[in-house]
Amino acid sequence: MFRQATRSRLSFPSRTVRGLPSLQAAPLSRTIVTKKYTVEHEIVQFDDETHTGVVSITDHAQSSLGDVVFVELPTVGSQVTQGDQIGAVESVKAASDIYAPVSGEVLEVNERLNTEPGLLNRSPEDEGWLCRIKLSTPSEVDSLLTLEAYKETFES
Amino acid sequence: MSSLSLLHHATTRLSSIHRFSRSLTSTITPAHSIYVSKSTNPYFNLTFEDWLFRHKPPKEPLLLLYRDHPCVVIGRNQNPWKEVNFRALHRSGIPFVRRRSGGGTVYHDLGNTNFSIHVPRTTFDRSATAQIILRAVRSLDIDAHVNDRNDICVGKEKIRPFIIATCSAYKIVNNRAYHHGTMLISTRLDTLGDLLRSNKESMVTKGVASVRSPVCNLQQFSSTISHDAFVDAVVHEFRNEFDISEQACMIGETDELMGDDYIHKGMKELPSWEWAYGQTPEFEYKITRSFAWGDVAASIHSKHGIILSCSIDVLKGGNIVLNHEMGEIGKRLEGKRYGQIEDSEVIGARGQSGDILQWLRQEMEV
Repeated sequence: MFRQATRSRLSFPSRTVRGLPSLQAAPLSRTIVTKKYTVEHEIVQFDDETHTGVVSITDHAQSSLGDVVFVELPTVGSQVTQGDQIGAVESVKAASDIYAPVSGEVLEVNERLNTEPGLLNRSPEDEGWLCRIKLSTPSEVDSLLTLEAYKETFES
Repeated sequence: MSSLSLLHHATTRLSSIHRFSRSLTSTITPAHSIYVSKSTNPYFNLTFEDWLFRHKPPKEPLLLLYRDHPCVVIGRNQNPWKEVNFRALHRSGIPFVRRRSGGGTVYHDLGNTNFSIHVPRTTFDRSATAQIILRAVRSLDIDAHVNDRNDICVGKEKIRPFIIATCSAYKIVNNRAYHHGTMLISTRLDTLGDLLRSNKESMVTKGVASVRSPVCNLQQFSSTISHDAFVDAVVHEFRNEFDISEQACMIGETDELMGDDYIHKGMKELPSWEWAYGQTPEFEYKITRSFAWGDVAASIHSKHGIILSCSIDVLKGGNIVLNHEMGEIGKRLEGKRYGQIEDSEVIGARGQSGDILQWLRQEMEV
């Protein structure tokens, strides 16, 4: 599940990842994808070549939420600032907000979630991705949490 | 036959919507285990509930009982124009409130008593809360029972499921599960039916839909039951369950609570347009109308209470000039608040444009 710890080197196109749009970019170059976490249980998979980040929620978050019944996504083209409310998730147990983990422009949203909110449970970090953001301040990624630091926020 | 309690999942959003709210801090802390609100102001009670379940240490049992003056309470991710019959709402002068927790739409009035119960994680059991409420009802001489799915019943009919709610879902550390329910004692079931009826089939909305359930009042089974009797019974059973010796703490809109930043801002946010309407999920509303001069179809697309687009097509009786005029009206409505077309917009428009604007305004207001 948490196979990429904090910073991992992926070579494309030798490996295809279903669902995640940014990882399909830059087919011939070596791209560094950094996976960082937030205390709000979100993940940013940051591609340093394109300066884009794919936002998703963690497996831990989806299992705590239970069956997701509704996902509200941000609008494509909107400018978001780190910490802004950009969407919402409602499950059979809870209603929660989604916050922008980084600042930038929303390039793409996962429209499948409109009709298949359950993707968030089945594949939170892959097919259930939320949106792709073009970072206006790529250095924001550095201040996000590593997997270990993220785990410490709820394991005590 | 008889559903005694209207239960919805009371799930508190993990943080407030606006960024400023996220940094809100409370200067007070909940010191008691049992609270009974004397206020019947839904904005206060819903905000106090949110504050209480966020600030109480999760290891301690917690009970809150309150009732509200008449209001319709919709879930965090619901569409008020789909859930609520605004014509009946305006006629009755009853407000609607968007709560911070998820789930469906319920009707509150002084004839129903709301309870929120948190039991500590270690002892948390799906049936524990149902049993407390059951014992309370039975102590009032009503022959109720709990079925294998923890629904409280009188008789054999299938009752709504008892749902576990979790507060602050993303903040797993502070995760506390609690039950929220509404006990119908002598609620106005006719008003309830009027206000929650909407029947807007051509409004296709994202978000969470409500599930209608048959309900009945406890007074049907006991003429002597009252809010106070039910509150006393639940408090009594809760104290027994957790060996609590203290009495219930009576709270209200006191200076101390109202002066707290979290409660003050929370109460201000609930009735604001930005929260009540501005949190509405995306929807599309398709309507048609025949005028003396032609047939018209309109489609309004809205998100967060703002009209994103409005297309107006003249199906019969159209011409180039008219079609252009309709296009202009559509463009003028873009970016405006859904359901809030100003008088000045309508008064200035004449002829077909005037007809259309008046019609659209009417359709959006009900």
